[in-house]
Amino acid sequence: MNYTRFVLHAAIAASLAGPAAAEDKVLTIAGSGGVVKEITEKVFIPAFEEDTGWTTKFIAAESNIMLEVRTMLASGNMLYDAMEVSASNYPIGVQEGLLAPIDYALLDPDNQLPDKAKKEFGVVAAAYSTVLVQRLDKTPEGKKMQSWADFWDVETFPGPRSLNRQPQYTMEFALLADGVAKEDLYDVLGTDEGLDRAFAKLDEIKPYIPVWWTSGAQSVQLLSDGEVFYSSTYNGRVTKLQESGIPAEIVWNGGALHTSYVGIPKNAPNYKEAHDWIRVRTMRPDLEIQYVRQLPYPNFAPGLFDEMSEEVARNMPTYPANAEVQFVAYDEFWAANIDRIRERFDEWLLE
Amino acid sequence: MTLMSYYVEGKNHMSVAGLSFRQVSKRYGRVTALDKFDLSVEPGEFVTFLGPSGSGKTTALNILAGFAEATEGDILIGERSVVKLPPERRNVGMVFQSYSLFPHLTVFENVAFPLRLRSVGAAQLTDKVREVLRMVHLEDFAQRMPNELSGGQRQRVAFARAVIFDPPVLLMDEPLSALDLKLREQMQLEIKRYHAQIGCTIIFVTHDQGEALALSDRVAVMREGRIAQVGTPQEIYDRPNSQYVAEFIGRTNLFRIGGGSGRWHIEELGMEVAPVDGVDPQKTGLSVRPEKIHPVGGGEEGQVTFDARLTQVIFQGDHVQYEATSPNGAPLIFQDHRGPGTRLMQSGDQIRLGFDPGDAVPVALDVA
Amino acid sequence: MKLRPILWLLLPAAVLLAGFILAPSLDLFRASLFDPDFTMQHFQRLVDRGVYLDVMWRTIRVSLIVAVLCTVIGYPVAFFINLQPSRRQTLLLFLILIPMWMSILIRTYAWIVVLGRDGLVNQALAALGLAQEPVQMLFTSGAVLAAMVQILLPIQILTCYAAMTEIDFDLIRAARVLGARPRQAIARVFVPLSLDGTLTGLVIVFMLSMGFFITPALLGGRQDTMIANLIEFQVQRLNWSFAAALGVVLLVLTVAMIVLLRGAGRLLARRVLKGGL
Repeated sequence: MNYTRFVLHAAIAASLAGPAAAEDKVLTIAGSGGVVKEITEKVFIPAFEEDTGWTTKFIAAESNIMLEVRTMLASGNMLYDAMEVSASNYPIGVQEGLLAPIDYALLDPDNQLPDKAKKEFGVVAAAYSTVLVQRLDKTPEGKKMQSWADFWDVETFPGPRSLNRQPQYTMEFALLADGVAKEDLYDVLGTDEGLDRAFAKLDEIKPYIPVWWTSGAQSVQLLSDGEVFYSSTYNGRVTKLQESGIPAEIVWNGGALHTSYVGIPKNAPNYKEAHDWIRVRTMRPDLEIQYVRQLPYPNFAPGLFDEMSEEVARNMPTYPANAEVQFVAYDEFWAANIDRIRERFDEWLLE
Repeated sequence: MTLMSYYVEGKNHMSVAGLSFRQVSKRYGRVTALDKFDLSVEPGEFVTFLGPSGSGKTTALNILAGFAEATEGDILIGERSVVKLPPERRNVGMVFQSYSLFPHLTVFENVAFPLRLRSVGAAQLTDKVREVLRMVHLEDFAQRMPNELSGGQRQRVAFARAVIFDPPVLLMDEPLSALDLKLREQMQLEIKRYHAQIGCTIIFVTHDQGEALALSDRVAVMREGRIAQVGTPQEIYDRPNSQYVAEFIGRTNLFRIGGGSGRWHIEELGMEVAPVDGVDPQKTGLSVRPEKIHPVGGGEEGQVTFDARLTQVIFQGDHVQYEATSPNGAPLIFQDHRGPGTRLMQSGDQIRLGFDPGDAVPVALDVA
Repeated sequence: MKLRPILWLLLPAAVLLAGFILAPSLDLFRASLFDPDFTMQHFQRLVDRGVYLDVMWRTIRVSLIVAVLCTVIGYPVAFFINLQPSRRQTLLLFLILIPMWMSILIRTYAWIVVLGRDGLVNQALAALGLAQEPVQMLFTSGAVLAAMVQILLPIQILTCYAAMTEIDFDLIRAARVLGARPRQAIARVFVPLSLDGTLTGLVIVFMLSMGFFITPALLGGRQDTMIANLIEFQVQRLNWSFAAALGVVLLVLTVAMIVLLRGAGRLLARRVLKGGL
């Protein structure tokens, strides 16, 4: 472990040493590589540099970004000013104190962002949903699923179904089907009785699920092949399904809204300017629309949906009407409870 | 009747049968492996098919055993036509070239194999296997596996297995070719002894002329799918009917005949001999076996004599093989059997050789 | 005797085996028992929860069925090939080898196309009027068995074929001329002599089946989970120690079953060789 840290640190320091020393007004942003990096560099970074006169350095984290931050904090030499924080990393960052709180008075003095977008240690940068998708050509004449309760209703909606082979959100869907209000989901799931209740509900649907999907691609393939008529899946993949001629429709009601964030690591050298970057990244509909055209993971930039047609907007997980009927996936809960619940879930599946 | 008394009775036993090939041909596409093969074998007779590979001897055996189908013709074993029967219904024993012992079975089970297929009762089976194994001197090897036996022992197991069900005919396909010389000669004697004991008809296939002469009642010399000559070993050796037979069996001196209708002229020796009636000198040669030629002192009565010069002396202990050239430069071979008073000659010696005209056998020359 | 230079020939293989098989295997044992201190908790969990015993038993059962099916199907095929003229043998063996050039993943996906609700079989059944509703074939044990047999069959065919080509054809002729009808010659000579190779093939197929995970994962339902699937899940979830314990169990079960199968095979062989079939 020490060796790994050493190498990591050395590598990062080496990659930053040159430019950082030569130019004072440089904001260093860490994020994932690939398409996200490409679009970020094309859309957001030029806007930021133009607005502030600063230059930026975008580091695509090679391995676990939280591990890097942890190492830098421990060595007293924080190199990042801002960073992408995935849904699963956010609770880690909060628990371990790796993140600095966002100063919303500085970021959003006019209070333009909705509450759903604002977390104590991060601002929603992108969102997607795990939703119920149905094939309208397989539903009974004139009927459509409206909720997870309908997914459980095998009398009205006969036919094979699929769910994620992971307890995350699957447990929530079961509780929603059992009549739990979305505000109470995690309170219920946090108790032993609530967990039993979720498993009892899953027992009901178990015989009607020939296959539990293990990847988003598989869930879409199953729907596309007609192997299942109804399935949970990620909203971003549904558009492709529809484009291939499959009459698939999302049921937003009861969907799990997943958000990833942009945050500031503790002891960031340019804390104030990091807020400028976050503002460009999360509150500029003119830039966000360009991002969304490439990746269907929108955020809550105010006025974003004025930039697109009604039809496109209604397919966005953060579209107000859609966001309203979904629950926000509570990743802190899963971070704390995953081991316990997953073990039971795995064994339940084998029974 | 006990088994031993059965063996003693030998040839008189009713299960011994003769067999005959009747105009049997085998063609593979345009290749003729066997061409109107015709041969009758007496009950209890030991007949050898002798020939080089490709002469049809193995084809004839395979058709007889039922492994190959005759293109035309018939085969009778006793009175019964077997040409349409599968191998298992022909009731012939067979010893294979590589013995073909079943490697997964003990000696006992190998030998018992034909009896088990014939549903022989356990007690009778055990008795009979013991008796046959005793005959081949392997009674102590019953529980061995074939790979624990020597070549000669395997040979004997194969023989025992082939005769245990009293087949009227026994086929042997080059059974001795895998053995070394000493063992081969020993096994030849054993086979002769078994044949005398059992008395069944044996068809033996070999390319070894010594083996054929030593074992057989009659030898059929095969050539290109036909029988070149059939006869007793002595007939085949002493009276070959063709250059092919004369040269295939042992060694010989072959002289060409020149001249017209009068006396025959032997060019190689520069001499004349009396013609034989009914023989076309154009298609005929004279075969004189090496042991029929010997050095002569003066003008022995009735002998054909000629000069020669020795070129090679090969000392073989009990006899000496000489090579010489005639005055015309033709090569000659002869043997001296070292009778009392004979001396060893030297290469380069000028000598006079002779043979009895009766030992010069007219043979059909191979078509050039 | 100078053995040293010959032993050197084994060095590369020995290094490879020691470094990449032996060492990781030992580490597997270590990882299953130390988390980080010595503990039997992972094995305890395997024994305590019935579901894991079910999975182990299922893995063995499925592997046995696959091995037996491959043998029952593959042996006659090998026998048939062995009877063909040699040029046709080469062609047939080539045809049998072709699927082995394709990845197991692709062959498994092909079964999805065949067995799916809109797949070839269901289309055929519908066209023949044999089924009103599509039959659920995908995500069943039958689908897993069919695909595993199809994937592993060439191995058993080739192993049986190799054993059969070793058999001297004169032995069959000998059996025939000594009085065996074709069926008896096969039962008393051909089958016993190809038995050892066939059993080897059966054990190889069994061994490979024990480690299968792509096919059960893609074609099976949740009831068709095998040990390898559990390992994969546990590794994904970073439960290294539990995964290691499962790995140890898979290894031990496989070795134990091979020993058992070999023993049973030898017993069977002795019976067959004694009395014939």
